[in-house]
Amino acid sequence: MPSLIAFILAAGLPATLLLTAAGLGLGFIIGLGLALIRVYAEEDIAVLAQAYENVFRGIPVLVLMLLFLVSTGWPALFSAGLALGLRSGAYQSQIVRGAILSVSDTQVIAAYSLGMNRMQTARHIVLPQAFRLALPGWSNEYAVVTKDTAWAGAIGVLDMVKAVDYLIFENPLIFLPAILAVTIIYFFLTYPITRYAGEQMSKRLRSLGLGGNY
Amino acid sequence: MTDFGDMHGFIPLQGGLWSYLDELGQSFLITLELYIVGLVIGFALGLTFAIMRQFGGRFLSKIAVGYIEIIRGTPLITQVLIIYAIPVFINAAGIANLQLDWYLYYIDSQGRIAITLNWSILASMLGLGINSAAYQAEYMRGAFASITTGQLQAATSIGMTRMQSIRHVVLPQGLRRAIPAWSNEAAYLPKYTVVAIWVGVMEFLNMAKTVVAQTFLSVEVYLIVAFCFFALITFVSRLLDYVHKKTKIPGV
Amino acid sequence: MSIVLDVRDVWKAYGDLQVLKGVTFDVGETEVKVVFGPSGSGKSTLLRCINMLDPPDKGEVFLRGQSLMAKDANLNMLRARIGMVFQQFNLFSHLKALDNVTIGPMKVLGVEKEEAIERAHIAIDQVHMTEWIEHYPAQLSGGQQQRIGIARALAMDPDVILFDEPTSALDPELIGEVLQVMLDIAKAGTTMIVVTHEMGFARAVASEMYFMDKGVIVEKGTPKHFFTNPEHERVRQFLLRLEVLYGGHDQE
Repeated sequence: MPSLIAFILAAGLPATLLLTAAGLGLGFIIGLGLALIRVYAEEDIAVLAQAYENVFRGIPVLVLMLLFLVSTGWPALFSAGLALGLRSGAYQSQIVRGAILSVSDTQVIAAYSLGMNRMQTARHIVLPQAFRLALPGWSNEYAVVTKDTAWAGAIGVLDMVKAVDYLIFENPLIFLPAILAVTIIYFFLTYPITRYAGEQMSKRLRSLGLGGNY
Repeated sequence: MTDFGDMHGFIPLQGGLWSYLDELGQSFLITLELYIVGLVIGFALGLTFAIMRQFGGRFLSKIAVGYIEIIRGTPLITQVLIIYAIPVFINAAGIANLQLDWYLYYIDSQGRIAITLNWSILASMLGLGINSAAYQAEYMRGAFASITTGQLQAATSIGMTRMQSIRHVVLPQGLRRAIPAWSNEAAYLPKYTVVAIWVGVMEFLNMAKTVVAQTFLSVEVYLIVAFCFFALITFVSRLLDYVHKKTKIPGV
Repeated sequence: MSIVLDVRDVWKAYGDLQVLKGVTFDVGETEVKVVFGPSGSGKSTLLRCINMLDPPDKGEVFLRGQSLMAKDANLNMLRARIGMVFQQFNLFSHLKALDNVTIGPMKVLGVEKEEAIERAHIAIDQVHMTEWIEHYPAQLSGGQQQRIGIARALAMDPDVILFDEPTSALDPELIGEVLQVMLDIAKAGTTMIVVTHEMGFARAVASEMYFMDKGVIVEKGTPKHFFTNPEHERVRQFLLRLEVLYGGHDQE
């Protein structure tokens, strides 16, 4: 059993972690861009950002992965990472936008009354607070992307699930414990982060009085 | 997982995409089946856990929290695989001898066997339901918690039992308040039905993969699949928005 | 005159804070008892102890001779016989005014729908809210909501009604309509315990007044006693402050 777990980790974990990083990283860039567009840009352009979100939230990520696999010539790992990133961008956009909008109006008014312009206010007052407010959302998104990396197994990426997948035919008896082990590993990848970064951070933010329009 | 080993009995035709319309349609029905049953199971279980979490004693409440955290902290794919594997394990370990190759079917317009239920499909439905329940429970609990304790005190003070307070004061308002968040979950659930591929169910995406293998029209097929999911999700989303507007009560 | 409510030596603490320190009094049929005193004196807690929303730590409460603390007491039924009107009204937001008043009789007392509606109409007429029965709480002003709250209590035909600072959350111009309703039902013979600082109301209908401070009843007496010659200096000071703050508004 321990050797099985070691095998799972050695064979599958690297892909899981890589895809998580790629998905979150790409998603962050896209998400930030979309959020800024939706909050600060002209209506006509902001609508496009909204459209992007709708599209990439309305399609199963596995379908995206397959699309990229067959349309580009790229290896499965890249296709999967790209799909995860584009999807995450759509969700991170919501997170950042929500965080920006929950920075107290009064803060912005105070900044303007000091003479700051829109860009300065955004840069020095709104965004710094927004990033802290986004932490619970981001910790949740981290968990989501981590779990979503499992879809990549269907396009041939060797992740933790794929590492034990074949066992259902070759050694059915071992399969259940193996998949349970994989599940537990996922739990330890996600829960600590969501519990502490997510909940604790929410509590701290609330006690500091950050965010929320009163 | 990649075995399309569901007895479908269809004769692969060469040629254009259109010749597969029938099969794709049938597989889309499977997807819908997975979606709706999963959603209903998710609702029933989710409501139960939400009530346990909000109104159960310390013990029930902790169980509910544990369930929600574990399900939300692990991938849907592993959850479905675990459910699927349990009877397989039981058989392999010699504990019992469970029948796993049963299936329900109907004969379609072209005289072929169209499977509506087998263990793979059932396991997928259960997995989707159990998974969705955890998320639905959280949305409902949030809505329940937002009902003021004042109203609950009023209910108690006229002599309502706990159950009565839940039934007449909390649920009518809580379920209405949960509609926006719940609609989100309900609208996007179809996306997750593709998990059934892992246990060999011939649902829409799986069928599409077969079509791709037969016709080599990969990009077109997957674009159509993407579009179909998008359309379904948008449709459900709009429908639920409409329902929400129609059931509005001022002040709730 | 029979005793409706008998409160004996009630103690209640929240954590380290002893809120009620041995409160004893009784209320007879058709009597109106007014409890007043500085905030934090335990007045609201006392009411919540009486209908066991927050059971006392020590002491006993008897409703027409039946103990509310007895293990086999049917608490819900006993609560149904003790009406409560809340500072924050606590109407059920998802129910129209009429339904707020009928739900108690129907679900707790098992009254038939038609009879419940009749009862509700009578109660709502008493509080002069007949034109508003189809409105939701969110569509009513504070004073209107509170009057429906009173109707809700009346419709249960209780042995006694507890009023927890019923006008404290109201805008000044809305206080009058609620006080008028309370005066009317007091004069009609309803047994009431009212926590309030509306001295005009007390002067008009109170059978007895209790001054509470720091968890004990410091002084008991008729309105005449309190307004002409109270015993304790604390009471004198308190009444003086109320006079200064509310002045002529008190004249009924």
